[in-house]
Amino acid sequence: MSRIRKQSEYEKTFAYRFFRWMGGEKDAFVGNMEMRPQKEYVEEEATIEERMRDRRQAMEEVYDSGHNRELRFFNWLYRCFSIIFCIAIVAMLVLTVSYLPSVGGEDKPTNNQVSETYITDGLKDTGAVNIVTGMILSYRAFDTFGETNVLFIATCCVMIMLMVDEDKIRENKDSNDRMFEPKNDVILQVVAKLLVPMVFLFGIYIILNGHLSPGGGFSGGAMIGAGMILYVAAFGFDRMEKFFNEKVYKCVKVTALICYGCIVTYYFLTGANGLACLIPLGVPGRILSGGITLPINIFVGSEVACTMYAFYALFRRGGL
Amino acid sequence: MGIIEWVRFVLVCAFLLFGMSIFFLEIFGVYRFKYVLNRMQIAATGDTLGIGLCLVGLMIANGWNATTAKLALVVIFLWCASPVSSHMIARLQMSTDKRILDHCRIVILRKNKKNAGKGGRGHGDI
Repeated sequence: MSRIRKQSEYEKTFAYRFFRWMGGEKDAFVGNMEMRPQKEYVEEEATIEERMRDRRQAMEEVYDSGHNRELRFFNWLYRCFSIIFCIAIVAMLVLTVSYLPSVGGEDKPTNNQVSETYITDGLKDTGAVNIVTGMILSYRAFDTFGETNVLFIATCCVMIMLMVDEDKIRENKDSNDRMFEPKNDVILQVVAKLLVPMVFLFGIYIILNGHLSPGGGFSGGAMIGAGMILYVAAFGFDRMEKFFNEKVYKCVKVTALICYGCIVTYYFLTGANGLACLIPLGVPGRILSGGITLPINIFVGSEVACTMYAFYALFRRGGL
Repeated sequence: MGIIEWVRFVLVCAFLLFGMSIFFLEIFGVYRFKYVLNRMQIAATGDTLGIGLCLVGLMIANGWNATTAKLALVVIFLWCASPVSSHMIARLQMSTDKRILDHCRIVILRKNKKNAGKGGRGHGDI
């Protein structure tokens, strides 16, 4: 609709056609282009027989494959050359590999000041005994922030595609293939009762001890997520919802991400070297040390645990 | 090497070789057996007996220290987890396979509701 021109005049302009095309009212190809659904290719039996006969005739009468020595020689030569060709390619690749610089050599391009600085100054700058965790959570905290965001966005996408309404979950509770699923298995429940607390404890230990020993937020969070999945498989969603439902999930996830972002931003704004940072580095080796490493480990761990459990729950029943 | 060292070495070798042969049997059986429950059984055998023997061999080789205790914990954890997962597979197979009686005989231990007579099909209440 145009407010300045008349309708009949407006219909001739480019803008009218363009906005019609934008709105999807008119497809430019309809009427101008031949459009016909493709037929499925079906071969008749007569054609197959003819093809087979032609092939046999060609092999027997034209090439005389039973008595043709040249053809046999050619086939033999073909096989030989294919083997030689393969061996040559393999040899070339292996030779190239042998010219690569050896692993761990001193004069390598990867052996530069960056890794040296991480190793020598890591403990002093980050306060974490475990240099790897100290490195990825303070020097490279923004990288890890990106990874945590990837987890968040991945669960959001899965939720957009698989989330079902609350009513439908209740409706489908006992329908179709859920019926065959073993429910309330006594053996599984006894074993889960034994194992789930231990799995949770070990995961929490790995997260809290991440700056002192191997481990950290990602591995510990994965462990806690696996423990929650085991609990759901043994006791069902009704008992899980008493302590972990959608509300808790949203709170934990968003809080972890926001706190992580705030801490990292503050740390980098104040100099990133513990210069005027409010969070003390502490004595290396103690449980309350490592500056920002410990809180960030906790946030990453809760994020990863929520992601693992959310994937399982969404794929199993379309809701948390 | 004293005689105790030799005995220990032979014990470690025996445990490890026996465990590895059971792993070999497991892989062979998983690809060879046709029916689900047979495959489940041989896989569970490898996951419990094979891993148990290998880890016991490693524990003997390691001597008395903290690593041995950790290995023992790993054995306990695996022996808890692996048989239960095979049990769940067997139970699911029983509740979904309609022609299970062609393959095996079902012994009813405890009668439950109506389904028990049909071999616990349907909800799998056996």
